[in-house]
Amino acid sequence: MFELYPEIVIAGCGNMLFGDDGFGPEVVERLKAYNLPDNVKAVDVGLGGPHFCFTLLDNGITKKLIIIDIVDFGAEPGTLTKLRVEDLPPGSYRDAHSWDLTEPLNRLKDTVDIMVIGCQPKNVPSADFELSISKEVEEAIPRTIQVVLKEIGVNNGNS
Amino acid sequence: MDEAITLSKVVEVSPTTRHEGHSKLVLKVNDDGIIERGDWLSITPVRGVEKLAIGKTMDQVPKIASRVCGICPIAHTLAATEAMEASIGCEITEDAYLLRLILQCANRLHSIALHDILVLPDMYLPGTDTKINPFTPEEPVRSVAKRIQTLRMVGQTVGEIVGGEAVHPSNTRVGGMYKNITPRAKAKIQDLAKMALPLAREQMELMIAIFNNWQKRDWAEVGGKEIPIPKEFGYHNQGYMAADPIYGSSSLDENPTWFPERWTEVRPWDWYMGEEEITLEDPSYPIGGTTKAGVKAWPQMEACTGVPLYDGQPVEVGPRARLVTYKNFDQKGAMGQNIAREMEYMDAVYKMIEAADALNCSGAVLPNVIPQGDGSVGWAANEAPRGCDVHLAKVRNGKVEWFSMLVPTTWNFPTCSRALEGAPWQLAEIIVRAYDPCVSCATHMIVVDEDRRLVAEKLLE
Repeated sequence: MFELYPEIVIAGCGNMLFGDDGFGPEVVERLKAYNLPDNVKAVDVGLGGPHFCFTLLDNGITKKLIIIDIVDFGAEPGTLTKLRVEDLPPGSYRDAHSWDLTEPLNRLKDTVDIMVIGCQPKNVPSADFELSISKEVEEAIPRTIQVVLKEIGVNNGNS
Repeated sequence: MDEAITLSKVVEVSPTTRHEGHSKLVLKVNDDGIIERGDWLSITPVRGVEKLAIGKTMDQVPKIASRVCGICPIAHTLAATEAMEASIGCEITEDAYLLRLILQCANRLHSIALHDILVLPDMYLPGTDTKINPFTPEEPVRSVAKRIQTLRMVGQTVGEIVGGEAVHPSNTRVGGMYKNITPRAKAKIQDLAKMALPLAREQMELMIAIFNNWQKRDWAEVGGKEIPIPKEFGYHNQGYMAADPIYGSSSLDENPTWFPERWTEVRPWDWYMGEEEITLEDPSYPIGGTTKAGVKAWPQMEACTGVPLYDGQPVEVGPRARLVTYKNFDQKGAMGQNIAREMEYMDAVYKMIEAADALNCSGAVLPNVIPQGDGSVGWAANEAPRGCDVHLAKVRNGKVEWFSMLVPTTWNFPTCSRALEGAPWQLAEIIVRAYDPCVSCATHMIVVDEDRRLVAEKLLE
């Protein structure tokens, strides 16, 4: 039986139309250039994380979910943080939609090991579209990739 | 203030829940709590995709369009790509069309199944007063949930095989598709679709029984109260707009089935209610109660979408519009809309199988020459899960000069607002959810007047 989502799923969340919110999808895009193991899938879920991905990971196969997204935790722009689902205060960390991001994740956390790699954004316009990632967040992308590779046990030759 | 207004009470549900995007309901109700006038409006800020598109290449714009919404990337990719093709006058090959058709069906299959999850918590297990929690580990609901998940998985997997990505398709391009699929991938689609076929039928039959059961009930529980269900729940007398039972139409068609000259648009200012004070509040309404009394609501200022009209009237788009237009469906009301959506399960799977069977995996999926455009207007109407998604474009020398998106829920806002009349206000959200609204992209501010000229582009803030 074909499974859409394998053992390890890396989900890049966010919307490239909102400046630094394009961080997650951009990390995934660049991750695809690496030879990822067969049990790993990197997906640009855009804004559809809860709808297309997180609610489909109860397949009995997926064991680990790494979410890559921007997180406002009051640090310098470009700073990375690792969060657990428990660290996400209900309601305060939402995607742009009515489905709270943490709701499907809370449902999932007992069967899937969930980690959020968050980057402090510099510029996320609230209404108008803007197609650019700030220099600080751009510089965090290679570092994020190293964190992810380490997390999934891929030795890329540069620790 | 006129007299009729002073007799009504005003209640506000904000935000509405269990659908995509942010919207709210401002409802004028009589002493029995029955809606006399309902305004359902988007409160998601305008984002200006139309502006961003200007000067971008015709291949970039569909990618941008696919990002305006979290759950409709496939529909927007197809509509935007085909609007570009319509502008430049580029016909796609038969096999490219078949691949897009498979993608369309995959998108619809996933979307219907996802809507089942969103709508089930309002419904009752037939023969009981127990509401359905789709996430319960208990039978019989557990098996239903698993079936829904399998259908979603099939939809998304087929979408990934053809579209190249699980969520945002990367294989479509102006002129056709980047790549055809392998015979093995085609066989996989056939296998998945054949596996989904009996599941889709069972799911459809169950959901129709659940919706019919709800409509036959005397009451539904909301916030601990038994609210009477009216016989004509969610009825409206507006017309329907659909371009195709499955796929869509474009200005390249010999006989197009959408007519730009029938489309006009008015500003929210001219359509929605003026400023109103909330005079009725209910702290027991889920989730967290309604807006407190004394607060002001101002729909005509707060609404983030223009009001598109077809033949000068709001129209309904979506599953029922397609079934009424092409299959003599006649069930009205909110449950009629829900049932129509379920009835589309089978066609989504059958068409997927037919298209996969007809696909020649060695066939060309790009034409020899892709014209670069002379600035002509082209449009494409894609029958997205939520309804007719019309994109319009002007392309010159490969660059986009003008782009506009008329997304399904924008059409449905004013129609659904009419459908609220006569219902108890506590059940208004059930009518809204029947439209499977997708609000975040339903923001469109270019206003076209009676002469079809661009008259205003309102910017918030």
